[in-house]
Amino acid sequence: MEFFLQVLLNGLVVGSIYSLVALGFVIIFKSSGILNFAQGEFLLLGAYVFLAISSAHAPIGAALLLTFAFSAILGLVLERLVLRPLIGEPIISVIMVTLGLSSVLRAIVQGIWGTDTRPLPSVFSLDPIQLGPLPIARGYLYSAGCVAVLLVVLTLFFKYARPGIAMRATADSQQVALSMGISVRRIFALSWSIAAVVSAIGGILLATMRGGVDGSLAILGFKVLPAVIVGGLDSIGGAILGGLLIGVLENLSGGYLDPVFGGGVKEVAPFVALVLILMVRPYGLFGKVRIERV
Amino acid sequence: MHSIRTALLVLCAAAAARAQAPAGGEIKVGGIFDLTGITSDVGKPFAQGVRDGVSWTNDNGGINGKKIRLVDVDYGYKIPEAVAAYKRMVGDDKVVMINGWGTGDTEGLKAQVNQDKIPYLSASFSGHLTDPSKTPYNFFVAPSYSDQLRAWLHWVKDDWKDKSRNPKVAFFYGDNAYGKAPIEAGRRYCKEIGVDLVDEQIVPGAFQDATTQLLNMKQKGADYAYINVTTTGVSTILRDAKKLGLATKFGSNPYGFSEALPQVAKEAAEGVTGVMPHVPFGEKVPGMKRLMEFHQKNHPQDTHDALYVRGWTYVLVWTEALKRADKAKALTGEGVKAALETFKDFDLGGLTEPVTYTPTDHRPSTKTPIYQVKGGKLAKVAEYEMPRKSEWLGL
Amino acid sequence: MRSGEFHTSYRADMAIFDTARARRVLAVFLVVLFAVPLVGSSYWLDVLNRAAIAVIAATGLNILTGFTGQISLGNAAFLAIGAYSTAYLATHGVPFFAVIPASGILAALAGMVFGVPSLRLKGLYLAMATLAAHFIVEFAVTHWDSVTGGVNGTSVPPPSVFGLALANDRALAFLILPACILTLWFAKNLFRTRVGKAFVAIRDQDISAEVMGVQVFRFKVLAFGVSSFYVGVAGSLLAYHARIISPENFPLSLAIDQLGMIIIGGLGSVLGSILGAIFLTLLPEVLRLLTSALSGQFPALVQLFAPLKLGVFGITIVLFLIFEPDGLAARFRRIRNYFRLYPFSY
Repeated sequence: MEFFLQVLLNGLVVGSIYSLVALGFVIIFKSSGILNFAQGEFLLLGAYVFLAISSAHAPIGAALLLTFAFSAILGLVLERLVLRPLIGEPIISVIMVTLGLSSVLRAIVQGIWGTDTRPLPSVFSLDPIQLGPLPIARGYLYSAGCVAVLLVVLTLFFKYARPGIAMRATADSQQVALSMGISVRRIFALSWSIAAVVSAIGGILLATMRGGVDGSLAILGFKVLPAVIVGGLDSIGGAILGGLLIGVLENLSGGYLDPVFGGGVKEVAPFVALVLILMVRPYGLFGKVRIERV
Repeated sequence: MHSIRTALLVLCAAAAARAQAPAGGEIKVGGIFDLTGITSDVGKPFAQGVRDGVSWTNDNGGINGKKIRLVDVDYGYKIPEAVAAYKRMVGDDKVVMINGWGTGDTEGLKAQVNQDKIPYLSASFSGHLTDPSKTPYNFFVAPSYSDQLRAWLHWVKDDWKDKSRNPKVAFFYGDNAYGKAPIEAGRRYCKEIGVDLVDEQIVPGAFQDATTQLLNMKQKGADYAYINVTTTGVSTILRDAKKLGLATKFGSNPYGFSEALPQVAKEAAEGVTGVMPHVPFGEKVPGMKRLMEFHQKNHPQDTHDALYVRGWTYVLVWTEALKRADKAKALTGEGVKAALETFKDFDLGGLTEPVTYTPTDHRPSTKTPIYQVKGGKLAKVAEYEMPRKSEWLGL
Repeated sequence: MRSGEFHTSYRADMAIFDTARARRVLAVFLVVLFAVPLVGSSYWLDVLNRAAIAVIAATGLNILTGFTGQISLGNAAFLAIGAYSTAYLATHGVPFFAVIPASGILAALAGMVFGVPSLRLKGLYLAMATLAAHFIVEFAVTHWDSVTGGVNGTSVPPPSVFGLALANDRALAFLILPACILTLWFAKNLFRTRVGKAFVAIRDQDISAEVMGVQVFRFKVLAFGVSSFYVGVAGSLLAYHARIISPENFPLSLAIDQLGMIIIGGLGSVLGSILGAIFLTLLPEVLRLLTSALSGQFPALVQLFAPLKLGVFGITIVLFLIFEPDGLAARFRRIRNYFRLYPFSY
């Protein structure tokens, strides 16, 4: 029982970070209809920029703010330069352009910082806190807490703040939004910035938990895709739930099935879940069903 | 359509026809390194050690006057890239031998290397490369991974104080040829010396979270665990173990354990043991003098570690072989192989154990020092010499 | 300027090489092409072989994505199936002229299985499903040790013709180049038939196609099958070429590379597959030549080569998509048409 609870807990904590990254995907998709395969690289860049700034002995608060500013600008620049010219192009072009972008960003990171693991200064001691019978790392608790706060903030933003409502309006129907006086271009830019910042937060949290920054952080970009699809590509609540579900599924299969198959099940289980969900409910648990007309 | 295709192919043909003029008095040696792949954390210092060693040799007389040209390539730990680089080096550059890196690609290329008669000194110490009847052209400079694992298991047996039962050991290894190399040897040796192997956990090539594997191991109650990945992976496992409050004592293979480990894993590395066939950088042995001088002269700001030392020892070994082959007027693949097989207790100034190769045994040495992290620094705690058993050849 | 074109039959009009001049150029080209393996250096022959294999794979992907509009990120998985089938069959002594089609068929069967989701999924969601298929096949290959050798990989004995083993690039070129030409010819002809036109109809507007009487699901699965057959054949030749295959030979980036090839070359065009494949195979080689030429002055370049390769690939894709979305084939056609009507091209 203890084993099960421990695995479950680990899954929830890891899943909370997946939720954060999934949120980045969903924000962009909701407003502009693009699935951004370069989201993992936003994570990566956020972590590395944070590393660079904090290694220059800046206080953590300043480092965080500067990283967020950098990510926001990155999102804006990329949207303007790369995605704007591709409005109206077939979906395959858009998928490929984000894949190309992910290669470029990864190459930049590799070129500047190399592939070594760069240690981050330890923020938390590694000794675990005991939650009942289960030890849990301080870093995990803190990160889960951060994610919860962020998710609440974002949900409130989309529900009550004017830009948030404008984004939801644009997601529903761009033409109607335009006719209501919403600047759709600005909404696209805003959504990319927010997504970049959210991913950067995820990257920083993940890096502090691991104690180091290296290129493998970008893999999260692909790992989170099952979470996004399971939850529904255009649902914020779905992204949150999807992230948690996938995190738990991953850890449960790692805990129980890995010993049976000799490893590797942990990585493939989310994708099996992805295929199953696509067969049964392609639009995810909470996504909007798209009706196609000729 | 045709014109563009023709033009492109004419371009290829022209480039191909471009004569590769061999520079007279130059010996070409191939170098296949991992500078950007999943083992680059240990691949980079090793490559730098090799390059520096070659530089130093060329500045100090070369090979009986001839300069060495290192044709080096970064293959990113991808086997297909290594195969392509190998084809290029042997087919186009006509190298006389190759200083290689990873287990997967070295084991994959062993048939080809045998056919082309190219001596291949790999940074991989896989036991599968020690039997000249199967892999006559493969060499390396350290006890094999299998011998090292046996030495560590011996240490476990000695360190275990409870007489009422055998120590319980788990193996953690990567899902690739390098990770799996010594595991079979380890399984058999555990039975031989009375150590209980209770669990084997596999991690993917690149991973960020080993929690489920550690939780599974915790259920089996392992007292010790041997990790067979590289430094980054070891650090992740150690930190995750500390977060779970595990009491297991960890040990690592020579590519997971160096001065870099305490820096990356910080307090999680305390008390961890590791096999270290090459001494840490700066250790007070006679052979270190050369390295320190070169370091002072060329890049005094850099830090170096045991992997850098390892690269140097490889150059020291194969430049000696090239010198012997050159003196015997046999500077070909076969000549260099024969020269290597004349090595008897070839002294490397304490940087690593003296090297012996024979036509029937390519194990250079079987003595393995065990180091431990104490207060963030590496200290030698034991040394074990494995017998040269013939049934262990090639395992 | 091209003139004097006068066809008197439908057959002549529909021919691929419709003028005598085109046929002559083709003959000369083939002679030059087959002369290259006789005189080229072994390294560039390796490049030629890899380019030819990439052409076959890219053509297969183009049939699926460019002509039928089904986005697939699972190409690397089908390559793997083709390659491992070849390794298995060849080690059991089956001769190569049976192994290659058999690997193609096995890959085609797998492709049809993975094509089933295309009934319900489109666009992005199909891409996701094929992405998942890639990871699932990768898992299966890595863990089915008895057949695939797991992570250690497996070695492939060379194809032998009348007892002569085709063990080096020079000899293999005489197997790979004809295979490439054959597959290209078949692909070009496929789109002059009813089946090919059905594929294109599905891409353009599949609901209308269904209404018009094209059995969409059946043809979608067939498209997956044909495309995977091509990719399986490419995988088979890849196995013979690489001699040692392991799961590392088939990463996701391979599938992304091939998608890049057909996008750069031009979706929905056989010429596009050829151009794109050759372009993306030669790009790293050109980069390598540049870096080794410049590495004298800038020794840091050796370490930067890997990120440079990645970065240049990414930038190329992005720039092509922004500035030349129809690909090299379209650009080539425009240039060719200009010269066809020169000096009256306006």
